[in-house]
Amino acid sequence: MANIYKPELVKVIATRQQTPDVKSVKVCFQDSGRANDFAFRVGQFGIFSAFGYGESTFNICSSSNWKDYLEFCFRKVGRVTEALWRLEEGDVIGFRGPYGNGYPVEDWKGKNLIFLGGGIAMPPIRCAIWYALENRRDFGDITIVYGARTVADLVYVDELDQWAQHPNVRVVRCVDPGGQTPDWKGEIGFVPHVFDRAGGSSANSIVLVIGPPIMIKNTLPILDRMGIPHRAVYTSLENRMKCGCGKCGRCNVGAFYICKEGPVLTMEDLERLPSDY
Amino acid sequence: MSFTITQDGLSKLVNEWLARGKRVAGPSRVKRDCILYVPLQGPDQLLLEDFIRPANSLKEFLFPKHERLFGYRINGNGVELFELEPPKTEQLLIAARPCDAAALPILDQVFNWDCADEFYNRRRQLTTVVTLACSAHDDACFCTSVGLSPCAERGSDVMLVKLDRGKYEVRCHTEKGRSLMEGRLEPSDQVASEPLGPEKRFDPAEVREFVKHNFASAFWQSEGLTCLGCGACAYTCPTCHCFDIIDEGNANEGARVRNWDSCQFSMFTQHASGHNPRENQPARQRQRISHKFDIYPEKFGEILCTGCGNCTRNCPVGIGALSVLTEIGHGEHL
Amino acid sequence: MNEAGQFEPKIVAYVCNWCTYLGADLAGTTRLEYPPNVRIIRLPCTGRIDFNLIVKAFEIGADAVLVSGCHPGDCHYTAGNYHARRRWILFRELLEALGFEMERIHFTWISAAEGRKWQQVVTEITEQTRKLGPYKNLYADTGNGSLPIPEAAPAVDQPAGSEGSLRQRCHQLLADGTVKVVIGYGTGGPVCVTKPADVGRLVWNNQCSSNLTTYLKRQEVRKLGRAAIVVKVCDERALVVLEKESQLDRKDLHVMGMACNGMGQPKCATCDVRVPRFADEVIGEVASVPLAGPPNAAPRGGAALEVLLAKSPAERMACWAREFERCVKCYACRQVCPLCYCERCIVEKNRPTVIDPSPTVKGNFAWHITRAFHLAGRCIGCDECTRACPAGIDLRLLNLSLAKAAEEHFGYRAGINRDVEPLIGAYSLQDKENFIR
Repeated sequence: MANIYKPELVKVIATRQQTPDVKSVKVCFQDSGRANDFAFRVGQFGIFSAFGYGESTFNICSSSNWKDYLEFCFRKVGRVTEALWRLEEGDVIGFRGPYGNGYPVEDWKGKNLIFLGGGIAMPPIRCAIWYALENRRDFGDITIVYGARTVADLVYVDELDQWAQHPNVRVVRCVDPGGQTPDWKGEIGFVPHVFDRAGGSSANSIVLVIGPPIMIKNTLPILDRMGIPHRAVYTSLENRMKCGCGKCGRCNVGAFYICKEGPVLTMEDLERLPSDY
Repeated sequence: MSFTITQDGLSKLVNEWLARGKRVAGPSRVKRDCILYVPLQGPDQLLLEDFIRPANSLKEFLFPKHERLFGYRINGNGVELFELEPPKTEQLLIAARPCDAAALPILDQVFNWDCADEFYNRRRQLTTVVTLACSAHDDACFCTSVGLSPCAERGSDVMLVKLDRGKYEVRCHTEKGRSLMEGRLEPSDQVASEPLGPEKRFDPAEVREFVKHNFASAFWQSEGLTCLGCGACAYTCPTCHCFDIIDEGNANEGARVRNWDSCQFSMFTQHASGHNPRENQPARQRQRISHKFDIYPEKFGEILCTGCGNCTRNCPVGIGALSVLTEIGHGEHL
Repeated sequence: MNEAGQFEPKIVAYVCNWCTYLGADLAGTTRLEYPPNVRIIRLPCTGRIDFNLIVKAFEIGADAVLVSGCHPGDCHYTAGNYHARRRWILFRELLEALGFEMERIHFTWISAAEGRKWQQVVTEITEQTRKLGPYKNLYADTGNGSLPIPEAAPAVDQPAGSEGSLRQRCHQLLADGTVKVVIGYGTGGPVCVTKPADVGRLVWNNQCSSNLTTYLKRQEVRKLGRAAIVVKVCDERALVVLEKESQLDRKDLHVMGMACNGMGQPKCATCDVRVPRFADEVIGEVASVPLAGPPNAAPRGGAALEVLLAKSPAERMACWAREFERCVKCYACRQVCPLCYCERCIVEKNRPTVIDPSPTVKGNFAWHITRAFHLAGRCIGCDECTRACPAGIDLRLLNLSLAKAAEEHFGYRAGINRDVEPLIGAYSLQDKENFIR
């Protein structure tokens, strides 16, 4: 019987603590055949499970070009994430997916890319950044503004440096006022303001902005001022989900089922939806 | 010219199915003031007359309140997943109300859009639905407002329409129904008169129009004020199908299960961060009405409501969908 | 089963860290022999031994449970064992009503010096449980048990003119700004009236059996501002409990007490007060049967509870298994209850999962035991849980068993007296302990 709720087994090949309460985990399929034919689009998500504890939904934050493993990143906040926190190399967990639409990277070809992320929202941007860097010739200038509450809350810090090495890539990092350490060399301020101050070209740009609602809300007026149309501004919504396939009835925003038609949508799409998110 | 069956004939049918180890479920009086669809032990438990409808719905025989999805076993680092026995018992749902049967084709859609829920589908294939047309209705009934009627055919394999006491006209609507009734019917000249349904209470198109354009209306605030946030409406609704998925077991073995869930519960949409898109009862009430009259029609082309009135009858504070819908219909929101 | 194929009981012992655990330890260090059937679970204090732990032990296969702690007066935390004792007295009555086999649940006081008593108790319990055999009847529907149907009082008309007076007063209160909202009865269900012009929506008739005080916990209603609430004497008891539990400041509330002739409900059959006693104002007059002096000890469970308790434990268990089989966990019982006010219910907590959230017989027993016991000494008998249940489960009998226990053992009736401390949360050195070894 085809059981859409039964996950595939994946093995943990590495874990890494990113912040005091955020970890990233790399997994690969136990079935090597499956590893070869598995494909996904950046921006899609998976449902990961710790058996005996339950399932949780996370973006697949590795690039779709990487065939050896999948990566996801989570903050320890509940029953499932506490169980995932205890994972060690060699442990086996469940994976269902990929689900959702992913980023329309084909449509982004030839454009400048602006990535704006806040806190734990870096992982879903990270996959797109790596994808863009690996297909560098397809895209124009890349601007990355990433901020968190404090220096300790920044995730994938080492990769920020790697990205900055690439030609025509600008990486701006920032922390909220009061969140800096004495040796902090980045910006101090909220992501929208830091982005505003950083300036830069806005012509022919695609923006991917993911973060807490307040950050997105404050970013929009700046983008408006820069003349970036809302159809070129993308975000990824993350509502609570259970089934991942449009049945369990909880992730919808109006008639928009985030698990199937999302999680990625433009601001223009979002503005058409009821504000039920 | 019609075909009929007697109550004895129905009893015989029930007995034969039970004798073959199959399941038969139908309305039964489980105690004073409480009529429910339950698995029957024998035909004497089956209630055929003098009731409006059971307080629960037929959905639990296709989409049970609790269902094990698969099992897991853990040894050391390794995990073994195994399928649990798939549903395989044939079942006869007898004397179901048309408003319950009509919910099944509606549910078929959500359980099958792009990926198929085999748990539901298997049970659906194994199920034969014999409906009993309604000869009475109460203040909570509103099937006629959503395009159905006391003898609506939708979802029925066979429909029984009462003639005299103890005798029913039989209308077979599907092949499954015809083979079920084969050899059990008697020809007759009697034809049942079409039972009268409740008066139309509102126009679903108007409700949809209202829902579409009044997301932020104060109307929802006043409607949601007296709602206590229980799941009685959703759990007794023939069409509500939201569920939760959890793990049940210990560190060595267990199962992943799904349980019914309701959009009226405060934790239903709460994020891990604590943010809750629907953080008050008015928002949850709005979701329920929107889902039924706007979202589902947009996705699947039909209303997620059969007008059974269970939400109204089972609501501890007398809200239910009907009062909301009629208020919208009467323009009381304006 | 042991190697010879004979039944070996599994016994779970919840013991306190300071006395019984040391007592058991002493038994070991002094080489006292006792059967190895006991699995010891050490907790800081008997006061911490949640009743759910006892239920859980049976759920996962224990044949008997032993709970043991410090002797009265010896508690490391001064009074943990006194609190525990009071809870056990009530909890045993609930388990009794549910049909648990009480000879499988044991309570003792064993001090750090009583290694020999530990040896003795464990040996006895093991022998006794061995004779009883495995606990097969837990949650089992063994027969055709069905719960007795409660008798209702005849429906009587409400005093003429009360409805008019109520509307008039509410009009005044809203118009002069004394209150911002009136929580009252309307046709078909409760209404929240905020404008003087809408007082016509308020009704007072013999359909007003529900308890509106549950709205006092709803944030949507609270936001409206100072409220007037329409209560009957039975509902008023909830206000007293809420006030004693610091959930309510009476200054924020204007209570409109309605003299009531009874609503024809089972609860009305045992009602002995007809006029609210603590309301800000009382509307209407009825032939009042005042409560004379302190509450007496007569069982107020009514005939249905007596019938239930007269059955055998196996029959009682079968009755409840049959009832709970129908539970879908819609939580209407919780939501309508004026005294279930936790912001996050224990059943919604999953770290750890104390109550299995699935609507299985096991999960349903766990839920209903918890719901009933969380209302021990608090339930005011408004029967809203029973009225709200779409599956027709007669939860009132569980509540009544606890109310009866509170009255019999402690002379306590919830919500009757504004000056008495909550039953759970207080203790007395005199609480009876004849069931504790």
